[in-house]
Amino acid sequence: MLLRPPSAADRFRALLDDEWVIDAPLERLLYGRDGSIAEGEAGLVVLPETRQEVSACVRLAAELGMAVVPRGSGTGLAGGAVPLEGALVLALSRMTRIVEIDEDVPCAWVEPGVLNLDLSEAVRHLGLHYAPDPSSQAACSIGGNVSTNAGGPHCLKYGVTSEHVLGLEVVLAAGEVLALGGPAPDAPGYDLRGLVVGSEGTVGVVTEICVRLTPNPPAVYTALCDFASVRAAGEFVSAVIAEGVVPAAMEMMDEVMIAAVEQFVGAGLPLDAAAVVLVEADGSPADVARQAAVVQRVGRAHGARMIRVAADEEERALLWKARKSAFGAVARVAPNYYLHDCVVPRTRLVEVLEEIGRIAERHDLVIMNVFHAGDGNLHPLIAFDRRNADQVARVAAAGRDIIEACVAVGGVLSGEHGIGLEKRDYMPLTFNEDDLRAQACARDALDPAGRFNPHKVLPGAARCGEAVLEAGHLPEGTWL
Amino acid sequence: MIAPDAGGGVAAALAEASAAEQTVAVVGGGTHGRQGGPAPTPDLELSTAGLRAVVEYTAADLTITVGAGLPATELADLLAGPGQCWPQADVRPGASVGGILSAASSGRARLRFGPVRDSLLRAVVATGDGRLVTGGGATVKGVAGYDLPRLLVGAHGTLGVIVEATLKLWPLPPARAWFATGGGLDDLLQRGKRLRRRAVRPGAVIVTPGGLHVELVGAPEDVAPPDGLEPADEPPAIAAPGLVAAGVSPARLPRLVTRIETMGLPYEAQLGVGVCRVGVASAAAVAAVRDAATALGGHAVVADGPDALREDPWGAPPAGAAIMRRLREGLDPVGILNPGRAPA
Repeated sequence: MLLRPPSAADRFRALLDDEWVIDAPLERLLYGRDGSIAEGEAGLVVLPETRQEVSACVRLAAELGMAVVPRGSGTGLAGGAVPLEGALVLALSRMTRIVEIDEDVPCAWVEPGVLNLDLSEAVRHLGLHYAPDPSSQAACSIGGNVSTNAGGPHCLKYGVTSEHVLGLEVVLAAGEVLALGGPAPDAPGYDLRGLVVGSEGTVGVVTEICVRLTPNPPAVYTALCDFASVRAAGEFVSAVIAEGVVPAAMEMMDEVMIAAVEQFVGAGLPLDAAAVVLVEADGSPADVARQAAVVQRVGRAHGARMIRVAADEEERALLWKARKSAFGAVARVAPNYYLHDCVVPRTRLVEVLEEIGRIAERHDLVIMNVFHAGDGNLHPLIAFDRRNADQVARVAAAGRDIIEACVAVGGVLSGEHGIGLEKRDYMPLTFNEDDLRAQACARDALDPAGRFNPHKVLPGAARCGEAVLEAGHLPEGTWL
Repeated sequence: MIAPDAGGGVAAALAEASAAEQTVAVVGGGTHGRQGGPAPTPDLELSTAGLRAVVEYTAADLTITVGAGLPATELADLLAGPGQCWPQADVRPGASVGGILSAASSGRARLRFGPVRDSLLRAVVATGDGRLVTGGGATVKGVAGYDLPRLLVGAHGTLGVIVEATLKLWPLPPARAWFATGGGLDDLLQRGKRLRRRAVRPGAVIVTPGGLHVELVGAPEDVAPPDGLEPADEPPAIAAPGLVAAGVSPARLPRLVTRIETMGLPYEAQLGVGVCRVGVASAAAVAAVRDAATALGGHAVVADGPDALREDPWGAPPAGAAIMRRLREGLDPVGILNPGRAPA
């Protein structure tokens, strides 16, 4: 059902050139999905190019009573950009200017549609990069990263998106433009910038972002450690951290995933390993040498069969390509996959991985693991075929079991993908009614009328002023 | 003065105070009390000193959950055992974990480790109307819902009383030491700029009147005197009746320092961070520092001082002041918490 006035498209065409207002049903269909398995329906799609156009579109949407769903590259995995009930999709993929680079801070002002990797490429000649590096970094946008508070392998040392956003500009429900923060630290007032980061498009449209840039490290050590059991690999990861070393990244891949990736990339991964851990340490040459020695010693103590150290930048790039191509490689195994994103305390990693193995057996499913082991951020990936209804039901049940297993050991629902639609109804597993109501207060302070991305993040009709939370229903067929 | 020994007790006291419309001043270690506007006498004083439990500490997780009243020096001693630290915090004698967070009090090693805001993973907070609310999660990474913990950092207890905090920890660096030299301001700023832009960041690069101070952190081989600097003690804190914290873009900090040097006030400029702390003795000096900072696109707040210096502690209202008021109305609907302290 489309809740939009019939003249809506014409009204928006008065604001934007015709080609940037998409109303054709087939084209709108493309904007009904994102990188998740959720399916929705866009009432109309607009692609503004400036903050003024964004502001005008938001104002008009309010006048027409249309909800607004901001959209970056559409790579999100939790359904955050999936429009429901014919909402207006406000796609930011034309806002791709790098507005200013200030080498002296160092920071950059960018528009939300700038792709993550494009920014790092643009500052490479200055010896700088943008640290958060999601696996989808060649496709995902900085605006989307801000929206989900995205992570990535190197967030182990460098921290997630929120630590790299110095300031931002956001268009609020009445179309007003609010500038928050910037390179000047500790502005007086509450940290609204920090609240907007990770708010998954539910409080406004981010139209410009000031991100911190990070100097490239002078020395890097990259090694692939190969283990005969998942337990040994997991214990190795915990032991490195316990030795007082926080590497730049520690990524783990299990046997099934190794096979899929090796077929796809041909990086020379050991096909007979039960698990591999990709470790990267960076810093000064002395510091890197110290960390590398710990990795070697702890690796051998935990039975690493082989530690393959990247000899040059080319080999390092190949090993990272293997890691970051994992999700593409899965397409060769099954038509669909459902990627989870729980975090557990690092010391509980092994037991949760073993439990996930049992969950896979119990539901007769293939579950593959490729994840940020150093952070305890699991990414169990369930391969399936959407056309098989029985299998789909088992995927949903296994997903719930995985989430419950993580929460049971003190874990959280999402490490970097967000809540969106996917985990909305799981929020009561870790938050009580008062917790959720306080979150609703935070959201409603920015968007009192609930105009942006309704039905996402918080269950049902959670609002600041109400004592009772009702579990609202998602439209039939939205998720699995 | 009441000092509940559990979060539930704090929530219950606030629920009662809200029902009776009594104002409440929240006190931690008492080291950050002189911030915000001059406070009217509260109906009730609530201390977090009874909340000093270590709730959960598994060293290998590099996280710790503690009561907000735990003194930060006690925490530092506890963490040093397994070789860990909370490097973003400004750990002064007496300061509590909750007070440091509420005042967003970042330490000098911020250039290397970032602001204290980035270290809070999870917080339990008692809201003004007496609800006990948990935000964030006790893992090193998490994006489950709205980031309430970040909102609480720097809120000066006006959105709720932090009763418990889960912090992200770091291994103690194998070595760290201070080095210093003297000279003219332009020369010190130039040399400081080269040092702060080293690819392996120093802990701190600080310019004071006539001095350049650098803290190096890391492998022992990396903690050697930089060119022209000698081993030295950490620079002393500024001694003055009041303290202003000015913030400008790190790119503009040298210009701010140059202005402040002409005022003849004691200062400590954190190069690469963009913070300049200035000792002041009069409201006119507060205004002069603020004018210099705002002219460079920054701001200046009174970080410490007697009432007379805090008539205008924050300067111009921040962007989004109406949103900030709505936030406070949602979490402290009767408006009992820390009257006069709210930054907007």
